Amino acid sequence: MSLDPAREGPLAAGTAAGGPSAVPSGASVTRGQTPAVEAVELGRRFGDVVAVDSVTFSVAQGEFFALLGPNGAGKTTTLHMLTTLLTPTSGRASVMGFDVVREPQKVRQVLGMVFQDPAVDERLTARENLELHAVLYGIPRSERAEAVEQALVWASLTEAASRRVRGFSGGMKRRLELARALMHSPGVLFLDEPTLGLDPQGRRHLWERIDALRKDGLTVLMTTHNLPEAEACDRVGIIDGGRLVEIGSPAELVARHVGDAGDLEDVFIALTGRQLRDEEATARDLMVSFAKRGGEHTR
Amino acid sequence: MSAPAVPTRRVAKAPPSWAGIAPSVVGIMWRREMLRYFRDRSQVFGGLSRTVLWLVILGFGLGAALREIEGYSYAQYILPGVIVLNVLFAALQCAISLVWDRQVGIMREVFVSPSPMLSVALGKLLGGATVSVLQGTIPLLFTPLIGVRLTVWSVLGAWGVMFFLGLFVTALGVIIAARLRTFEGFGSISNGVIQPLYFLSGSIFPLRGVIGGVGFLEIPQHLREELRRLGIFAIGGGWVVQLPGWIQALVYVNPVSYQLDLLRYVLLRFHQLPMAANLAVTFGAAPVAVIVAAWAMRRMGQAGR
Repeated sequence: MSLDPAREGPLAAGTAAGGPSAVPSGASVTRGQTPAVEAVELGRRFGDVVAVDSVTFSVAQGEFFALLGPNGAGKTTTLHMLTTLLTPTSGRASVMGFDVVREPQKVRQVLGMVFQDPAVDERLTARENLELHAVLYGIPRSERAEAVEQALVWASLTEAASRRVRGFSGGMKRRLELARALMHSPGVLFLDEPTLGLDPQGRRHLWERIDALRKDGLTVLMTTHNLPEAEACDRVGIIDGGRLVEIGSPAELVARHVGDAGDLEDVFIALTGRQLRDEEATARDLMVSFAKRGGEHTR
Repeated sequence: MSAPAVPTRRVAKAPPSWAGIAPSVVGIMWRREMLRYFRDRSQVFGGLSRTVLWLVILGFGLGAALREIEGYSYAQYILPGVIVLNVLFAALQCAISLVWDRQVGIMREVFVSPSPMLSVALGKLLGGATVSVLQGTIPLLFTPLIGVRLTVWSVLGAWGVMFFLGLFVTALGVIIAARLRTFEGFGSISNGVIQPLYFLSGSIFPLRGVIGGVGFLEIPQHLREELRRLGIFAIGGGWVVQLPGWIQALVYVNPVSYQLDLLRYVLLRFHQLPMAANLAVTFGAAPVAVIVAAWAMRRMGQAGR
């Protein structure tokens, strides 16, 4: 696992120093401050299938938190409930103090989201995609052009700004989406498997950007099954079979479960087992494979 | 390499809106549909090839056998039908892209934003209606070829009908799209939705007609008028033909029949169905469908994946 260059990036140094408000244990949050994210016995079932089963955790403001788990563990479902895309069937959750069910509009205003696979309009240019975002998030007309230009600079996409996104690489799309998610200065940034499918260069570049945000005090909640990435976080929640099985800083988890000799991967295997997780293709997978076969007529 | 400075802090808020309608959001979603349309040459090509196939090839081909319908050549008779066909394709293609956008495109980005879904839906539907007008205008460019004279008023009237038809069909498509999780191509939509609506609308044959051979029998004018009072329209000269009852019933329940009939009246001053019904369906069905479609999109946003 040391093959992963992300570990050697500036982020590794950041971890050693500790985040601005790294919370010492798996227990709750900095006293007196609204938690950035709070989930209490949060659950979601689809028919008879329990996707997320009574998950409780909270993320302090300024914290860098990862939900770690094998495929199909319920990471994305949890993220979708926290971002108001999916209504919980039990429990409650709040983002920056706003309830995701009762105050979805408020929650949407304070969150930034980067989806697992690009949620961009590939027929539009990078700039047009950002303009659309600026309008959707109510950035006043007078500030829109500036906001778009700043985002383009931040994403290192100024030269590609007028090109259609269809021709972008995976890394360019991800940078565009990350810059877009920051345009409205969210209180919490949600990243669903942010480096999935990126090459080492793209991954490293993205990590540098995320690290800069973290130094700026932004709260980040990401899902991943990439262990080096999780190791760089302030705290990690390990989720399996829809249940949160362990939570704490990477160092604590290693000390608690495998002792000095191990690393987070050993903890992960110890907690989630060696069994392979095979999932059925989702509607989205079907669409993606359909598109790859060149069958899409409406794009 | 160090990452550039984090962008300026801004306060995020819901776009300014009144009763769920945020003009800026409606505008940007409409603009998106326009940009997508103008960047998709295949759609314009489809509109052109449909027009040539139906209006020119079928119109003149079948027209050689069917000399006239109520004094109009067959190509002239099917002109409104070809416009409707183009509108159906444009509107449904726009609506069905929602299935795609929702799974792997921009719709998820829209769902997590604080924008009111009603405005997003309105922008999309108005966009679909505008593209419908543009695609429906292609057959109008062929009118000199088939000898239909357009006036400013008939063109404006036709655009009005196309817009409402486009709005209605886009909304219908959105209602369907909101229930689809996957789809494998546009073919099923074409065969399952567009073609029935098109063929069962009186687009290519009159509801009741007198059909016949090549000059086999000329119908005298007074008989023609007599038949017209009975609601029977003459194609060429020949025998009275009436569609089987079940097809007739389907034509009567198909809302597109009325919209098409109004379009035919606007362009050719000829109609087969009661005018009041034409007006009521054309201008009444669209707002109802828009409301249902906006509601369907809202639900889609809440239901998530």
